[in-house]
Amino acid sequence: MNMRTCTALATALVATLALGATACSGGTHSMDGKGRGKNPALANQGAVVGGTPKQGGTLTVLSNQDFTHLDPARNWVMSDMEFGTRLLYRTLVTYKAAPGTGGSELVPDLATDLGTSSHGAKTWTFHLKKGIRYEDGTPVTAQDVKYNVERSFSPDLPGGADYAARYLAGAQGYQGPAQGKHLDSIRTPDDHTIVFELRKPFAEFPNATVMPTFAPVPKAQDTGPRYDNRPFSSGPYKIQSYGRGKQLVLVRNQHWDPKTDEVRKAYPDKLVVVMGLKGDQIDDRLIASQGPDASAVSWGALRPESAAKVLPNAEVRKRLLAESTNCTDMVQMHTGRAPFDDVRIRRAVQYALDKDAVLTASGGPAFNDLSTAYMPATLFGGKQPDLLKIPATGDVAKARQLLKEAGKPDGFSTEITVSTGDKGRAEAIQQSLGKAGIKVTIDTVDPSAFYATIGDTTHRTDLVYTGWCPDYPSGSTFLPFVFDGRYIKEKGNSGNHSLFRDKPTMQRMDEIAAMTDAKAANRAWQELDGQILQKAPAVPVLVRRWPLVLGSNIAGAYGQTSFGGQLDYASVGLKDPSKSGS
Amino acid sequence: MILYTLRRLAGVIGVLIAVAAVTFTIFYVLPSDPAAAACGKACSTERLTAIRAHMGLDQPLWRQFWDFLSGIFTGRTMGSGQYALRCDFPCLGYSYENSESVWGLLMDRLPVSASLALGAAVLWLALGLSAGVVAALRKDTLTDRVLMVGAVGAASLPVYFTSMMLIYGIIRVAGLLPYPQYVSFADDPAHWASNLLLPWLALAILYAAMYARQSRSSMIETMAEPYIRTARAKGLPRRTVVVKHGLRSGMTPILTLFGMDLGGLLAGAVITESIFGLPGIGRLFYNALSTGDQPVILGVTLLAAAFIVVANLVVDLLYAVVDPRVRL
Amino acid sequence: MTSQSLTPAPGRDIAPGSGPWQLARRELRRRVSVKVSLAIVAVFLLMAAGAPLLSALGGRSPDEFDKSAVDPYLGGQPVGPLGGISADHWLGVEPVTGRDLFARVVHGAQVSLLIALTATAIVVVAGTAAGIAAGYFGGRTDAVLSRLMDLTMSFPSLIFMIAMMSVAKDVNRIVLMTAVIGLFGWPGIARVVRGQTLSLKHREYVDAARVGGAGSWRILTRDILPGVAGPVIAYTTLIIPGMIATEAALSYLGVGVRPPTPSWGQMIAESVSYYDTDPMYFVIPSACLFLTVLAFTLLGDALRDILDPRGSRT
Repeated sequence: MNMRTCTALATALVATLALGATACSGGTHSMDGKGRGKNPALANQGAVVGGTPKQGGTLTVLSNQDFTHLDPARNWVMSDMEFGTRLLYRTLVTYKAAPGTGGSELVPDLATDLGTSSHGAKTWTFHLKKGIRYEDGTPVTAQDVKYNVERSFSPDLPGGADYAARYLAGAQGYQGPAQGKHLDSIRTPDDHTIVFELRKPFAEFPNATVMPTFAPVPKAQDTGPRYDNRPFSSGPYKIQSYGRGKQLVLVRNQHWDPKTDEVRKAYPDKLVVVMGLKGDQIDDRLIASQGPDASAVSWGALRPESAAKVLPNAEVRKRLLAESTNCTDMVQMHTGRAPFDDVRIRRAVQYALDKDAVLTASGGPAFNDLSTAYMPATLFGGKQPDLLKIPATGDVAKARQLLKEAGKPDGFSTEITVSTGDKGRAEAIQQSLGKAGIKVTIDTVDPSAFYATIGDTTHRTDLVYTGWCPDYPSGSTFLPFVFDGRYIKEKGNSGNHSLFRDKPTMQRMDEIAAMTDAKAANRAWQELDGQILQKAPAVPVLVRRWPLVLGSNIAGAYGQTSFGGQLDYASVGLKDPSKSGS
Repeated sequence: MILYTLRRLAGVIGVLIAVAAVTFTIFYVLPSDPAAAACGKACSTERLTAIRAHMGLDQPLWRQFWDFLSGIFTGRTMGSGQYALRCDFPCLGYSYENSESVWGLLMDRLPVSASLALGAAVLWLALGLSAGVVAALRKDTLTDRVLMVGAVGAASLPVYFTSMMLIYGIIRVAGLLPYPQYVSFADDPAHWASNLLLPWLALAILYAAMYARQSRSSMIETMAEPYIRTARAKGLPRRTVVVKHGLRSGMTPILTLFGMDLGGLLAGAVITESIFGLPGIGRLFYNALSTGDQPVILGVTLLAAAFIVVANLVVDLLYAVVDPRVRL
Repeated sequence: MTSQSLTPAPGRDIAPGSGPWQLARRELRRRVSVKVSLAIVAVFLLMAAGAPLLSALGGRSPDEFDKSAVDPYLGGQPVGPLGGISADHWLGVEPVTGRDLFARVVHGAQVSLLIALTATAIVVVAGTAAGIAAGYFGGRTDAVLSRLMDLTMSFPSLIFMIAMMSVAKDVNRIVLMTAVIGLFGWPGIARVVRGQTLSLKHREYVDAARVGGAGSWRILTRDILPGVAGPVIAYTTLIIPGMIATEAALSYLGVGVRPPTPSWGQMIAESVSYYDTDPMYFVIPSACLFLTVLAFTLLGDALRDILDPRGSRT
């Protein structure tokens, strides 16, 4: 976690903060008396900020954007999933509302338990709790859960997670329930029992049922694409009004019964999400925390530009969350095409890349950790190994030597595609590869079109900058998604953007997937990670944190580690509800 | 006059169809794929084809354009079965990104942009015209110099610079106003005004400077006209001459300018709205660009063009009222 | 700045036979604002032209990172006061990357001015040609060109430019931006020129040339073009600030040049979020943009007063 880089930066400014010098001098300097680690952003890691909230009041969420999707069949963005499943709809199983690693524990939500499997994990049965009601008082049934899973297949409702499509039996070619066709592989013997038939064994299926795909949608309320603007609530809040890109107002769902729900605390009476604000103004408002802003939180992560206003300020730092997103940012290289079909060229990139510069462009070591392996630290039991021992700032000489061996002593020209928000990171990559003679042109693509652009394997650029987040803490949700050549699609490719088709790797993946001992499998994934790293289909760069500044009246706040470090809306509330206005 | 108006109205419709055709063609010719944007992360080829068909992108260009044009008047139905989307008159298309009809979105955002544009217009007309007229009447005095130097300077400041300075000075340092966050006039007029004050000022400073310069030179020209000299020779009081004769014809060129500026701003001040985080049409447009939401891009372009041509038409008609020399 | 400035200062001798151009030059030289703005314009043009040379003098290339100049623990704030101004970095550095601001401002001048001036050239050439053609030939040519002008002016230009810039990906951004800006500017100048041509068309000397058997081309280039030159020059100078501002606005909105190419608009856009933590970073490119626009405006005002006193600006 405490990834430090020992740059010669013990300037007066840094010294007053008592950060930088520590790592270089061996850690004799004490840190602000916090003693929780050297990173000033991590004082609240794994802790709850603001104590226990009081019931009532209005929680304001300041956002610079709109939700991608709130329709549970289409919601597959970490933060949006956390918001939707914590406030508006319940899923079969969900993550515990707890800070730190406790947040990765599965707990039953709609279901009475974590599901029971039979037929060697090919059949999964869940029983629903009784007394769970929608916002109009009608009961939630197993058929409604089935119906929403079916909806997620509809081409009219794109965007959602594809676990159902990957695993359910007889799902090929299914186009959703709009034409009156239904999936036989989901059975509902009664209103409170749902059975899933999978086409292959899937021991971690309960993890997948955390996805909003497994939330209930009653057929009578289904408005198709318009459902996105008015999902029907089975959670503690319902939508009072939703102006796209402007404002979302949530009020209590009177029919939600806390006795059926061990996860959601639902402290505030009302939530108002104000959208379309400027990112820097959100940061400034929360740092100042004046008047109604004291009862506000930020939707998006703190901008790196605002770090200079937050980190030196002890008062603001107390209100700062910065959990890891657990997503590894990588430079993925097109291994199917010259010059990157040559492993020496790829290793040259590995050596040339100045991860430290990318880290600075990403907000600095306070808000990011350098990455020396593909899988994030959580899948290595807390700390990534460093097999290659490449200096964080890169090794240009070694890179040049590798290029020479590969017959390209003068380097070459190539292109990288990045999402608009990653422009600064891309410039750092461009600059450092340039030193080794690799001339990179940057293509910035809008976030919405980004995955479609890099998913087109014939027309995409040689390099892409993407991240991968494990959906739950298992190597099986990382390495096969990123490096299994059999998942590569001509168009709409995702994950394996290195187009890495390595026989031994795939063989090993199959072997590990068949392992019954979870611990052994874990170790095997970790070893495989290192083996792939030697073949260099991608360069792991960094793991971002999700820094959030909270208003001073916020209580019960922590970053949910299983939802990318987003604020856990299940348990956040206000210290003094009367201060929050109406 | 009526005939003229009718002829001009026909022209307006012609221009709008031309604008729509050009916009349509450009987005068709240039590589962009709204279906891919709508398809999302795990987009399979079959799903892409289905979405493409649903959006009508598999049709030839002329067909899409015809569907769009006729759809404005007759409304359109997209897709079929349970999930069919009905988009009623005036249907400018459907935003898959926002799951709402483009017309609905535009009408939802228009009050924000209109509040911004109209409020700023009142300010800049008041500031700009009075400064220009005063400077013209006091030509070559210190007042004139100071006003004009100020105007040239203010007109050269980029709007984002002025905005940031206002935010810094008035919000951060002085703490006089809250950070802008749009509140509708109907909900709370006082908050509406206090939240819009800074954006108004930012826009008004720029435009007032331009209007001061324009109105000054226009007034100077008018005041040198023979008929003004005649009026003054007749012994009319200076005040009457300036107000009744000078202003009236001196302001006609300003009217043209005002029509175009206001028309342009009504459909969204992209930069100002984005700096102050106002959810207006400019912001909607900008978001639509970054999400590849073509129906919205087309809708905003058309609305903006409509505002501009209609504003021009209104100005031309007003000429006849304001300036007796103009005969239609 | 006044419409009477053609009248020379009283009591000064004017050599008999002074042509209008000589008068103009003398008048220009008399004004302080002209001298100052000419100096500013000259400085920035030299800066743009000599960008590589100047940044070599400063010892930094515009794309070169300097990690020692920023503090990664503070979100990449420049080390040292005033945004890291030092002997090494004359105008300080860009936060996060540590790129030299002087080198970037100088190269940014090159990009911004290149785009603005080329777009202006396109507008002036196209506008003048269209204006003369419409005015001189009249009839159907005039009708078609005038409709085209009306249509172009009805386009919400900024919105359209943003849309075009954001859709086109695999093209030279600088060329595209120049073309797109140029595309919407020509009707303004075409109208001015058309009006001027209409009034010149039936002057005696033009009629005389026509009777003398001169061809259209000869009349246009020998008689009409010089007649419209004055207003065109004045108008040109006056639209340059708008062009610079448009380039900056497009880059500001993130649809401008491709990274790491600097332009003033791009620099301002990036620096806005540092306006309070690193004010120098925000002020420097803004000041450059401000000064250039101001100088061209003042110059344009003066030229218009002298060359086009009646004002083709209704």
